[in-house]
Amino acid sequence: MSSDLEQRYRRVLRLLPGWYREQWEEDMVAAFMDSWLTGDPEAGAYIAKAVGPGWGELASVTGLAIRLHVGGASTPRRHAWGQALRRAVLAVLLVHAVLAVNVLVFLLWSRRLVSWLPAPPASLAVVPSGMWDTLYYLACLAWIAIFVTLTLGHYRTARVLATLAIVPNLVALLQAQLTGVLPAPFGPWVFWILVDLAPLLAMTAFHRDAPSAAPRPWLAAMPAGYVLVYGPLQALQVTGNYAWLPDFSGMCCILVTLACLVHAPRAWSRSAAGTGLWSLTLVLLAAVAAALRIVTITRYLNDPHLINVSLAELVIMLAVVALVAPDAARAQATAPASPPCPQAMAA
Amino acid sequence: MQEATFLILTALASGSQHGYGIIADVREISGGGVQLRPGTLYTALERLRADGLIAVDREAIVDNRLRRYYRLTPAGSDRLAAEATRLRANATTALMRLSPAGGAAT
Repeated sequence: MSSDLEQRYRRVLRLLPGWYREQWEEDMVAAFMDSWLTGDPEAGAYIAKAVGPGWGELASVTGLAIRLHVGGASTPRRHAWGQALRRAVLAVLLVHAVLAVNVLVFLLWSRRLVSWLPAPPASLAVVPSGMWDTLYYLACLAWIAIFVTLTLGHYRTARVLATLAIVPNLVALLQAQLTGVLPAPFGPWVFWILVDLAPLLAMTAFHRDAPSAAPRPWLAAMPAGYVLVYGPLQALQVTGNYAWLPDFSGMCCILVTLACLVHAPRAWSRSAAGTGLWSLTLVLLAAVAAALRIVTITRYLNDPHLINVSLAELVIMLAVVALVAPDAARAQATAPASPPCPQAMAA
Repeated sequence: MQEATFLILTALASGSQHGYGIIADVREISGGGVQLRPGTLYTALERLRADGLIAVDREAIVDNRLRRYYRLTPAGSDRLAAEATRLRANATTALMRLSPAGGAAT
């Protein structure tokens, strides 16, 4: 008959994927119970009733669950999701890094380090004043380091830096919430969760068992993204031609739309292999961009034109994502359903 | 190689063991310094199985509980031997430099 302690431990083990529990749950329970029970029936009865798995055990099982759910090369179907999630996280961090490069450019420009360049417009000048401003801009610039360290495989460093980098925005939100100056009740929070917190949490998908991304293309994408995409947009803004520029959420929708359009011919080509993971990545990014677009649309409740533009961005993106969605579905379908069973491995 | 991984492979070097046997052996080998939790142990076992360094040896039912015994594979033995050799070389160098004759003049 199972004890309370065993029941509690089995509840913790529900964090693990079903296929893994099927193979290893009994083994883990046996090891766990043996590690607690001393052989003294009286002490055993007390421990079984009063003691729980504990935070340390909960943390170690959670770590194993994350590893298996968004796993490395050895895990089954989730491997495709894990790979796509890692690419999506890198893409979101790339956006953060490009924005940080922009802050760096304006910071240097505002300090007039290049003497022949005219001063930037006052509205775009970056001149930190006071400790809070300095912290805020440091947090912005930290995304460059986070992106680079994650790309180069220094996962723990990237996670620590990202944890620190999202704090200033969290503090600003809390302050705005408490002082009642938050423009919308939940929009800014959802924005922070999607853009700051979710990528940080999703960074747990980067672990030493997970196949690492090729760093060069990702690292090259940072300056390229600035020079080819964000820089020209900023140039338009500096010259005052910004009336038709999309907002951040709109820009995300447009970028995902363009990426899907570029990728779609490969996804539909019968000769191209291995496109499914990128299709799945684009579907994930589209989900994030759609959520951002929906949340931020509430800013324009008094402007029907901007609402129409925002809805158009959303609908066009969803229509184009539908082009790569079948390929994304195939990427999961072709993944193995379960790993080799232990007995087979023992042979 | 992490210390816990090294100790798990060392625990299996003298023969196959079940999960709790490994936990107890690792505690003994490390003089109580490393206390593996089951969750941590199975994370390591999952990785070591994936790397082909250990395999399931056999299963047995003891006290109505399934016990799965693990053993080192030949690749696991080689890896452990290589790591032990490396650690011994490092330790020898450290001890030589700490000894009065081998150390730097103070």
